[in-house]
Amino acid sequence: MQLTKFNYDNKIVRNFAVATIVWGIVGMSVGLLVAMQLVWPFMNFDLQYTTFGRIRPVHTNAVIFAFVGNGIFMGAYYSLQRLLKARMYSDFLSGVHFWGWQLIIVATAITLPLGLTTSHEYAEMEWPIDVAITIIWVVFGINMFGTIIKRRERHMYVAIWFYIATFVTVAVLHIVNSVQLPISMWKSYYLYAGVQDALVQWWYGHNAVAFFLTTPYLGMMYYFLPKMANRPIYSYKLSILHFWSLIFIYIWAGPHHLLYTALPEWVQSLGVAFSIMLIAPSWGGMINGLLTLRGAWDKVRTEPTLKFMVVALTAYGMATFEGPMLSLKKVNAIAHFTDWIVAHVHVGALGWNGFMTFAILYWLIPRIYKTELYSKKLASTHFWIGTLGILFYAIPMYWAAVVQGLMWKEFTPEGVLKYPNFLATTLQIIPMHMLRAIGGALYLSGALMMTYNLVKTMKKGRLLANEPAEAPELTPVVVNERAPHRRLERKPILFLVLALIAILIGGIVQMMPTFMISSNVPTIASVQPYTALEIQGRDLYIREGCVNCHTQTVRPFRSETVRYGEYSKAGEFVYDHPFLWGSKRTGPDLHRIGKKYPNKWHFDHMLDPTITSPGSIMPAYPWLIEQTLDASTTKAKLNAMRILGVPYTDEDIHHADANLLEQAEGIAADLNGQGLNVRADKEIVALIAYLQRLGTDINNAPEAKTVND
Amino acid sequence: MFKQITDLSGNEWYLIASLWIFLLFFITVGIRLFRMRKDDADYMKGIPMDDAAQPEDDSVN
Repeated sequence: MQLTKFNYDNKIVRNFAVATIVWGIVGMSVGLLVAMQLVWPFMNFDLQYTTFGRIRPVHTNAVIFAFVGNGIFMGAYYSLQRLLKARMYSDFLSGVHFWGWQLIIVATAITLPLGLTTSHEYAEMEWPIDVAITIIWVVFGINMFGTIIKRRERHMYVAIWFYIATFVTVAVLHIVNSVQLPISMWKSYYLYAGVQDALVQWWYGHNAVAFFLTTPYLGMMYYFLPKMANRPIYSYKLSILHFWSLIFIYIWAGPHHLLYTALPEWVQSLGVAFSIMLIAPSWGGMINGLLTLRGAWDKVRTEPTLKFMVVALTAYGMATFEGPMLSLKKVNAIAHFTDWIVAHVHVGALGWNGFMTFAILYWLIPRIYKTELYSKKLASTHFWIGTLGILFYAIPMYWAAVVQGLMWKEFTPEGVLKYPNFLATTLQIIPMHMLRAIGGALYLSGALMMTYNLVKTMKKGRLLANEPAEAPELTPVVVNERAPHRRLERKPILFLVLALIAILIGGIVQMMPTFMISSNVPTIASVQPYTALEIQGRDLYIREGCVNCHTQTVRPFRSETVRYGEYSKAGEFVYDHPFLWGSKRTGPDLHRIGKKYPNKWHFDHMLDPTITSPGSIMPAYPWLIEQTLDASTTKAKLNAMRILGVPYTDEDIHHADANLLEQAEGIAADLNGQGLNVRADKEIVALIAYLQRLGTDINNAPEAKTVND
Repeated sequence: MFKQITDLSGNEWYLIASLWIFLLFFITVGIRLFRMRKDDADYMKGIPMDDAAQPEDDSVN
């Protein structure tokens, strides 16, 4: 059989590898900074661009989309070419993909500190960046499918199935979660409101973990682990079961992020049931990986790459067992909104994603530079420091979570909350947060060691940009294969369609009834749209990233209703574009904060939180007092809200500016009457208006009324 | 634990239908795998081990 000569493109792999390292260090450094801000608030630097609320999303997006994202593309571009025995479809598209993705990252790193955010967790970028992500993702897809189509290997290996599922699912998730109505270049509102928005966001958020942090890494595990161990995967049959079960089940589990909220009960129950079922395919993948090392465990002692892979798989197993456990309502009642979730996420991110990325970098860089790794000893040191870093990160966070979760719920024998002041529970866990920062610093120092080691490796060798290869061209299929999956393995488009169907079923079953059946979201007659000033205040709340530390959903527990007030109802959020329920209580819930304190309390609290709450770790927001509110957008915002279904009248919109001024002057007069000198056009006034409105509408009606009544 | 997946106020058909869909899907895939030929599985397992790369030539940049 005649062999065709061709080259593998290693340059694009190298480029993505370098980007992975650079953005990894940036993302981890910002993570360390936000960790330290939670211990020493002065590290917010009294600058609006460096406060926790604005840069925490920089950290999450940097590590997810910049570090892990570039890691995915590095691994996929290397393995795709070799598994398909073909060069990437187009060098031009590879270049567009690489530079486009880096520009998206830079744009995100600039806009988020400026407060240009949509507030949807892990999707905070505003609409122009969302459009750019869509375009670049399509470029990646064309390049990948182009390569698959011109392949010289008839059957697609399991790694490629995971890449296909990643491509199609991320596309669906991103598009559905990014349906926004722009009102300007850098401001938009989500189409959905309240409960629906929450369901969409956590369908996206959960499955971003599934299909960005998990499936592409499973694909890479199926390629790189056999290469590192120099033996094939343990069971190919198990990999088929693993793949289809995982992509089918994962998509259903999103609602476990919203237990005890106003989300319909049946959706929550579906989320719980499928979360428990998810253990099976997840562990199937982990076991398939670990058993691949059977007979090769001696290599784990000497090969740093395998050390990293073993811990990565173990962390995957731990995180995928812990996730379903956290979805049990009894556990969730204590763990949710605490540092447990942060620990859970970081066991996955630091252990699974981080360590596998390091393993691949250590394995791949010497190969494309045709040399040996500069120092195996340094890589082993990195492994141990990184492992210590994970332990120092996770254990104190679990400890902090249990301590704080129990303190929130503790009553005295007399039946009152033992810790009525939320701050008391925050101060109790500061030492654990210090240990967490040490863990993060250890992990980052390991990554810096790796960078030094890899730079020295690159200098020692020389990039083989075009690696020669040869393989026979594919001949037409003459024998019809009987096994259906065998046939499917050579039909990429059919494979894509079936994967799409598998991931769509769960989303449709959960979302369609919540969107189409009005009884799933009972309305409350007394709940009215926000005023013009409150809308502006709400957008300041979004700009400052308050949702990163404060929830707006009171769960139906005695410990919460006593602390915060009446539990939250679905009908209270029908005008909330976007929902702002949050996912973590670094500070107290704010849904019932309205009218709880006088206007001056809020003014003092934003000027310096320690005035009203001595010892508070919340940053100060003095610029809200100095900066003038941009009221030029008020009418456009109300118009946009009306298009989205909020019942503003023509009069509301026509008189928006006058109404805004009238309400602002009322608040300013109240503040000035208490010895302050505040002008009505300052941002602080709008924020106070919003905070004083929160959760108060329900008090205006003696009885909640639903559409079923 | 079990109350949360049984007490669904008349909406349990969502859950039951969803579980049935998965169960049928899982059983179908399981049967197919049971009947899969060992040669095919072994061939697929071996794909990553053969990356078709050739010894280095003068294309080094």
